[in-house]
Amino acid sequence: MIKFSKVNKWFGDLHVLRDVDLHVSLGEVMVVCGPSGSGKSTLIRCINRLEEIQQGELVVDNMKVHDRTVNMTELRAEIGFVFQQFNLYPHMTALENVTLAPIKVRKMPKAEAEKLGRQILERVGLGNKADAHPAQLSGGQQQRVAIARGLCMRPKIMLFDEPTSALDPEMIKEVLDVMRDLAREGMTMIVVTHEMGFAKEVCHRIVFMDEGQIVEVSSPNDFFIQPRTDRAKMFLSKVLVH
Amino acid sequence: MWGFYLKGLFESLPFFLKGLWMTVAVSGLSLVVGTIIGFIWGIIRVSRIRFLRTIIGAWVDVIRGTPFLVQIFIVFFILPELGIHLEAFPAAVIALTNLAACFICEIVAGGILAVPHGQKEAAKASGLSGFHQMTRVILPQAMRIILPPLVGQYVLLIKDSSVVSAIGVTDVIRAGWLTVQRIPEGLMVFGLVGILYFVICYPLIRVSNTLERRMTVAATRL
Repeated sequence: MIKFSKVNKWFGDLHVLRDVDLHVSLGEVMVVCGPSGSGKSTLIRCINRLEEIQQGELVVDNMKVHDRTVNMTELRAEIGFVFQQFNLYPHMTALENVTLAPIKVRKMPKAEAEKLGRQILERVGLGNKADAHPAQLSGGQQQRVAIARGLCMRPKIMLFDEPTSALDPEMIKEVLDVMRDLAREGMTMIVVTHEMGFAKEVCHRIVFMDEGQIVEVSSPNDFFIQPRTDRAKMFLSKVLVH
Repeated sequence: MWGFYLKGLFESLPFFLKGLWMTVAVSGLSLVVGTIIGFIWGIIRVSRIRFLRTIIGAWVDVIRGTPFLVQIFIVFFILPELGIHLEAFPAAVIALTNLAACFICEIVAGGILAVPHGQKEAAKASGLSGFHQMTRVILPQAMRIILPPLVGQYVLLIKDSSVVSAIGVTDVIRAGWLTVQRIPEGLMVFGLVGILYFVICYPLIRVSNTLERRMTVAATRL
């Protein structure tokens, strides 16, 4: 589904992705973790070309993302992306937020899109907030609308870039619950997160990154019980203490 | 004496109103077209089309950095030497449209840049085309920032339109000049000219103030 081969990326002099090789298969839930600045966000932002890679090959759903002549619009429609800062459209209601892309990109009739939008808002537990503006919603509710916005496109892949990092602790659970349901339904997901509990329980494989490199890829059991590298051990000792 | 002049001025009122109509026509036309061009330029100014972006940027700087009087002289007196002959009215409209477009371009570009970058990323990530990203997500939010200074700019441009009298367009100012030769009471004549400008501009000033207030309230609510 997603295949990185020898991917390299620089921001100026900063080498943010170093020879990244990674394969994600259909229906797989993958968690990416690592210290800040290790290139986790950049890694998933490359998948729908919010960032361009400079070297190597990146193929997503049989489309060559590394080829700059490939039009990304089509592929982006198949990939839901959830941002740390939600990035909901503040001038639209929740329902308008989730139906904009289906109407404009999928050319879905408005009535049909709204029906779908309400269903999906219902599914993330916000059926009664369809007509609220983002400013009237809590952080957790906003992030669930953002997830619904991605789901409304019936995507093949969902990417999450630290979806709970901007949330107050009591709202984290409601967002993780939605993501957990999604994972059980077989959605292909890549989640950048520090929520190790979520990783342990839900994901199939964990990718540990440091300084732009993939240091370790293992099953959650192996990773938490017997990490292979010292860097991973050090990281775990820091995040698991609190 | 005053009574006599006042009577004379009263008799010239239709002439002034014709001048007022000319001011409204020149500035109205220029503002409408200038707004459209200004938005297009403003959008290009923040786009990734580097070539056009640079040209527009340079052009805006030149126009903003030179007196409008010089610009209008160039359109009216210099272009004919290059074989482009224009009547006074179209020359005035072209020069003022260009001036309006340049100022509005900067306001629009500033407004677009003030929209948080995450908005564009979210729109892009959901598969929206560049056109829909701009028209559905970026511009509606930028409009909050653009509108108050835009209307304020309209007021300035309407007043700048007085310069077109220099090439013989009989707007309110020129009506004043012509009248003052018959009625040598400058204060009275140009007082009337001032009042006529104020009558057009004041409602716009009120609109601008209201928008400013409303947008600030809306922004704090968010």
